[in-house]
Amino acid sequence: MRLAERGIPFVVAIVAIAVGYGLSVGLDGYFVYLGMSAVVAGISLLGLGVVTGSAGMISLCQLTFGAVGAWTVSALNEAQAPGGFLTWLALGGLAAGAVGVLVGLPALRLRGINLAVVTLGLAAAADLALVQLQFPGVSAGISVERPEAFSDDRSYFQLAVVVLVLCCLVVYFLRRGRWGSAWQAVAFSERGTAAAGTSVRTSKLTAFAVSATLGGISGGLLTGQVGIAFPASFTAIQSLALYVLAIMSGAHLIDMAVFGAILWVGVPELLKRWGIPQDWGFVVFGVLGVQALASGGNLGTTVRQVWYRRSKKEPAKLDLAAGAGDVEPVSPGPPVLTVRDLSVNFGHVAALSSVDISVPEHGVLGVIGPNGAGKSTLVDAISGFLPNAEGAVELGGRPLTGSPSNRARAGLRRTFQQDRVPPGLTVGAYLKFLARRRLTADEIGDALDFFGCPAARTPLSQVDVGARRLVEVVGHLLVRPRVLLLDEPAAGLPHEEHVAFGERLRQVPARFGVSVLLIEHDLDLVRSVCDTITVLDFGRVLASGPQAEVLADPAVLKAYMGETEML
Amino acid sequence: MLQGALAGLAAGGLYAVLAVCLTLMSRLVRVVNFAQSATGMFGCYVAVFLSVDLGLPVWLATVAGIVLGGLLSALLGWIVSTWLAEADTGTRSAVTVAVLLLLISLSFILFGNKPQPFHPILDGPAVTVGGVVISQVTVVTVALAVLVAVASRIVLSRTPAGVQLRALSERPTTAELLGIPARRLSVAVWAVTGVVSTLVISIVAPSQSNDATSLAMLVVPAAAAALLGGFRRLDLAVAGGLGLGLIQGAAAQVDGLSVVRYFLPFAVIVALLLWSQRKEVWDAAR
Repeated sequence: MRLAERGIPFVVAIVAIAVGYGLSVGLDGYFVYLGMSAVVAGISLLGLGVVTGSAGMISLCQLTFGAVGAWTVSALNEAQAPGGFLTWLALGGLAAGAVGVLVGLPALRLRGINLAVVTLGLAAAADLALVQLQFPGVSAGISVERPEAFSDDRSYFQLAVVVLVLCCLVVYFLRRGRWGSAWQAVAFSERGTAAAGTSVRTSKLTAFAVSATLGGISGGLLTGQVGIAFPASFTAIQSLALYVLAIMSGAHLIDMAVFGAILWVGVPELLKRWGIPQDWGFVVFGVLGVQALASGGNLGTTVRQVWYRRSKKEPAKLDLAAGAGDVEPVSPGPPVLTVRDLSVNFGHVAALSSVDISVPEHGVLGVIGPNGAGKSTLVDAISGFLPNAEGAVELGGRPLTGSPSNRARAGLRRTFQQDRVPPGLTVGAYLKFLARRRLTADEIGDALDFFGCPAARTPLSQVDVGARRLVEVVGHLLVRPRVLLLDEPAAGLPHEEHVAFGERLRQVPARFGVSVLLIEHDLDLVRSVCDTITVLDFGRVLASGPQAEVLADPAVLKAYMGETEML
Repeated sequence: MLQGALAGLAAGGLYAVLAVCLTLMSRLVRVVNFAQSATGMFGCYVAVFLSVDLGLPVWLATVAGIVLGGLLSALLGWIVSTWLAEADTGTRSAVTVAVLLLLISLSFILFGNKPQPFHPILDGPAVTVGGVVISQVTVVTVALAVLVAVASRIVLSRTPAGVQLRALSERPTTAELLGIPARRLSVAVWAVTGVVSTLVISIVAPSQSNDATSLAMLVVPAAAAALLGGFRRLDLAVAGGLGLGLIQGAAAQVDGLSVVRYFLPFAVIVALLLWSQRKEVWDAAR
């Protein structure tokens, strides 16, 4: 089964190369040349698909990376560097990748839109600079030598197809791997990414580096195609057009990147044949791009939806009907997570003041309190999302400091009240991404079954929100952290499933060896799961201790239930 | 050097006006409008066409172009606020990227890709101080930048419409529930910034490199200036625009800096961002 799955991309690759060979032999020379241009554009679009499609950042300088690749190849050719064209091509890709990292550096702390400004700035500047400098070897009229075996157009087209297929394979496996999950995650939610112990910065930089490398390779190939590179091939406006095309076609899907490339070459060609000015091509792209953005879809997803509609499925739901089974319960030990004197102020509002909390080893601590008591702020502060929080947090006797991703790696995980599960992944891929380690299929299957979650192969976009949040819980449990902070995990589940969920939560310390801090509004759930309870009210600890004592405390009753309510 | 810097001040005023427009758009309608200067460019080109090919008087053609720039911007605003009302800033701004591409291509189709034969609206020196000439264009653009910034500030803080706009930008849904006409106000903001950008480009274009791409790409230095104020503060946007113009003008005088000069806006953007974002900030929404 798995072998077959692993083999499919290679089979597709071999078929694609065969088709490329067929085209190179069967088409007439002019179309072979156009085909080369399409392949070059395809590699560029593939790169854009990584950075804009997967990682959700606006990058408007894809052809500048292409120019870096072309520059490198031209310079090495002029200098008659050893290694020949293919080595230069690889070096061109690497050089562009390095530039991509440099451009990505300011992107680390930036939301997409500032980044778009940076990339457009670079594209405009490079545009002007290239016109003034010209590529190396141009003034002397030295054209780039193709490799000996691929010197004529037909065989060079075959080479280009092989390079494209290799790039597609690399992107395919990257997207299915840890990097790809991180790109999807960072596009959907930065906080969610950091909470999974993945650095937001690294994710963004890898996306940029991969995208730029592909851009560089495409530029290098173009240089081999035309012999002498000209700045006109790498203008800012073409970068814009390529970006719009990537948005419109959905270039994060490999087949759509290839299709987009065919449009890129085909539309101007058709216009030429019909005697229409070629600038109309960009007008068409622009209109379609606006339409795609306004409708929130693109060609690729539309095609796939039509495909899926034929195999229409209900959204996957939870199935908590089965019994939870029994495990030998473990008794809580000494505190594993201690929070002392934690205060958080937003301006003049004290969200938390001098809060002390301790989670016992192998225990479940419930944190309850009315809305606005500071429960979610507490989780944010402990997990490192509020750098201005004062106080001390210790995990397993060691101070816990630093960024959220560091804390996650140190063994403190958290879930979110909002849905921060990237819908672009499958359940299994998401669990692997959260776990940051190799998981066996059995491990995944057992944990998912235990919580009644959908199977690992299900795409998260097909899973309803309540179940999605449980998948998040399962994923963090599989990491086996020291402590897991759960922020209202049962919100979104039907009430009758709360009890079943509580039964399972009760077994978490024994089954997974994880201590839990549970924030929950449903008192029945809290009562059935938690040994100890801390009550927050207006950012202060109102009461803390064993369950029965706390829930009987008159002050708690008053704060939580109003005067007359009886528990 | 000084003469160069002052020559750059005309461009600086242009950047500053555009930066103020970008900042207003970002604050009030949650968009970084990449088509800001392209809209102005298109309006100006139509004005040149009207005066050169149809023989309208220059002032009338210019006014017509400015009105068209405003209408174009309003149309774009209507599209964005109708179909992308709930979308995030990134998606809304991506639409303007597509529009930037569209406008440049359209102007190539309609007017060719050569610079246009602009009639200078303002010409000649305004004052000469100690051998250094300051042109009328410089005086007017710098004044316009300050004027637009101050006027926006007064409108936003002192008029009912301004208060509604601020409410709309901070809590769009709440504002709509209060009965504030969201779409109408948003489109008005788009229209005003369209008019202002077309006006300032009409003034400066005759003395700048005025092919479609150069004019449309003016959004880059303008965005660099707007970034100084973090797309929030108008005063810093003006200062950033003027500063960038001065630096570029001065750098143009130094031979060794020829290529480096082009990268100035980019370098300024990156430096500013690295400084302003030195603390890790979590996006509130995501």
